[in-house]
Amino acid sequence: MLEADVEVDRREFTLAVTLRVAPGERLALFGPSGAGKTTVLETIAGLVPPRRGQVVLGGRVLTQTSAPRRAVPPWQRRVGLLRQDPALFPHLTVRQNLEYGAGPHPDRAATERLAGGLGIGGLLAARPARLSGGQAHRVALGRLLLARCEALLLDEPYTGMDSGLRRALTALVRSLAADRDIPVVLVAHELAEAQAFADRLAVLDAGRLLQDGTADAVVRRPASRRVAELVGYLGFVPYPAGGEGAVAGVHPERVVPGDHAGRGLVLSGQVRARHPAGAGWEAGLAVGPDVIWCRLPEAPGAQATVTVLDPPCFGADGRLLPRATGVSA
Amino acid sequence: MLRSASAAASLAGAAVVWIALLGPVITLFFHVTPGTVSSALRAPGALTPLVVSLEAGLITLAVLVCLGTPLAWLMARGRLPALRLWEAGVLASLLLPPLVVGLLLIFMVGPLTPIGEALGHLHLTATNTLFALIVAEVYESAPYYVLGAQAAFAAVDPRMEQQAALLGDRPSRAARRVTLPLAAPGLAMALAVAWARAMGAFGAVIIIAYHPYGLPLQIWTTLQETGLASALPFALVLLVVALPLPVAAYLWSARARGRRRG
Repeated sequence: MLEADVEVDRREFTLAVTLRVAPGERLALFGPSGAGKTTVLETIAGLVPPRRGQVVLGGRVLTQTSAPRRAVPPWQRRVGLLRQDPALFPHLTVRQNLEYGAGPHPDRAATERLAGGLGIGGLLAARPARLSGGQAHRVALGRLLLARCEALLLDEPYTGMDSGLRRALTALVRSLAADRDIPVVLVAHELAEAQAFADRLAVLDAGRLLQDGTADAVVRRPASRRVAELVGYLGFVPYPAGGEGAVAGVHPERVVPGDHAGRGLVLSGQVRARHPAGAGWEAGLAVGPDVIWCRLPEAPGAQATVTVLDPPCFGADGRLLPRATGVSA
Repeated sequence: MLRSASAAASLAGAAVVWIALLGPVITLFFHVTPGTVSSALRAPGALTPLVVSLEAGLITLAVLVCLGTPLAWLMARGRLPALRLWEAGVLASLLLPPLVVGLLLIFMVGPLTPIGEALGHLHLTATNTLFALIVAEVYESAPYYVLGAQAAFAAVDPRMEQQAALLGDRPSRAARRVTLPLAAPGLAMALAVAWARAMGAFGAVIIIAYHPYGLPLQIWTTLQETGLASALPFALVLLVVALPLPVAAYLWSARARGRRRG
């Protein structure tokens, strides 16, 4: 079990985060740039000292700011950190990189087995400069696994890669984490990446953990309007039944054409604009003073009715209201 | 057409500059013959300055590596307060004319100074001894090594050292396995330049270490006593002794960098 309860002073805010990740569990730390996600990982890895708090991994206290104080140095933590730049050692071969943290007498057969499993078995004698981005990431991942890390921290490792490679590497890390039964924390600022990888999603914004739950729960029932904005709700329409100032969140992918009263919030309005989106169209529908974006084929000027399926509603204070459906606006 | 004419003009210009820079060395080969070199080196005691120069140069390099490398690493990693002040200190002996450095060294470590007296207790004298020659060579070559080594360390991505730590290396081990190998080509070049400076040190040496003669002073005294033609063979010897290390360092660095680029 990886447990972190830390406060870290940053220039813009004080980061305050509490996380628990069970062995074999995958947690995605999701939030906008500058939210403090990387700082959380660096604090767990021992690269950034917290002002207050505790980090415990598998019962070992790695950091403790209260008496008895403890700050295990990074080289004794057995925590693996993989960043966007895989930081392979350019003067060493792939084999030497893989075996870097495996002790003075690495098991060569184990290296070859792992390399085969990672699809880099034929590259053991190559230097990192000859590797593609995906191969370099596989080597970096293998290096962490051979170093017998007890927790994996992944800091947006797939940024800049094409979606096919990203999917393949995500699947690979998922299966490896399950085999090794170690906690994994992924930092992501793209929701799809976080959803594809994680069992659990923790939403971080300006140093505060806003919500922690299954990816589905966070996306369907955001705890606050701010979380809803972060997970892709592009429009908010008035929801009078929730009281003054209450709004319902509209996610473009949870809007269907037509009136389906009983399944959600029915909205009518005029299409103001339209542009191609994927295999169809995305249209801006004027609902009162607000424009909501949803998948609709209608051309600008046309009248349209849509149903927002089971929308989350938020009170004037921005908090999630109890479930509300079948309300026409 | 215009483009190729411009390329040819650039090439010709570069060649003129290259030949001009190499001119003195080319000239030297036109003015010495194997016979003159052989007879000059066969004279009694002719090889002593060569031995003195090599001895002092090697000890100077050892001093630079032992003391200059940690200083360069601390400067590169910003581990020292008021970094500019440290850099200014290193630059001082580079910016001062070597003759002035020699004069000031007499006032700093001469036999009548507190440092000179302290050295006396260790049976060392910092004037007109091999020790004095080494002191002068260290002062003349140290900035070249320290600043070159600082640049070599600064070029090593600190995240490499961080990754080594996360893979279980304490800092000293990470330095041995990652930092030093990655900085090695730059360190080799810095050391090669320092070696060339040490072997050719003259300004400070003539003031503080007139005896025992190293090769530069041998050239100077031969020139004074018997003329230009007699001095040239020793100039050739100095070149032959001073150049192999820089050339080897250059070739090795280029090869190491090439290997890393794949």
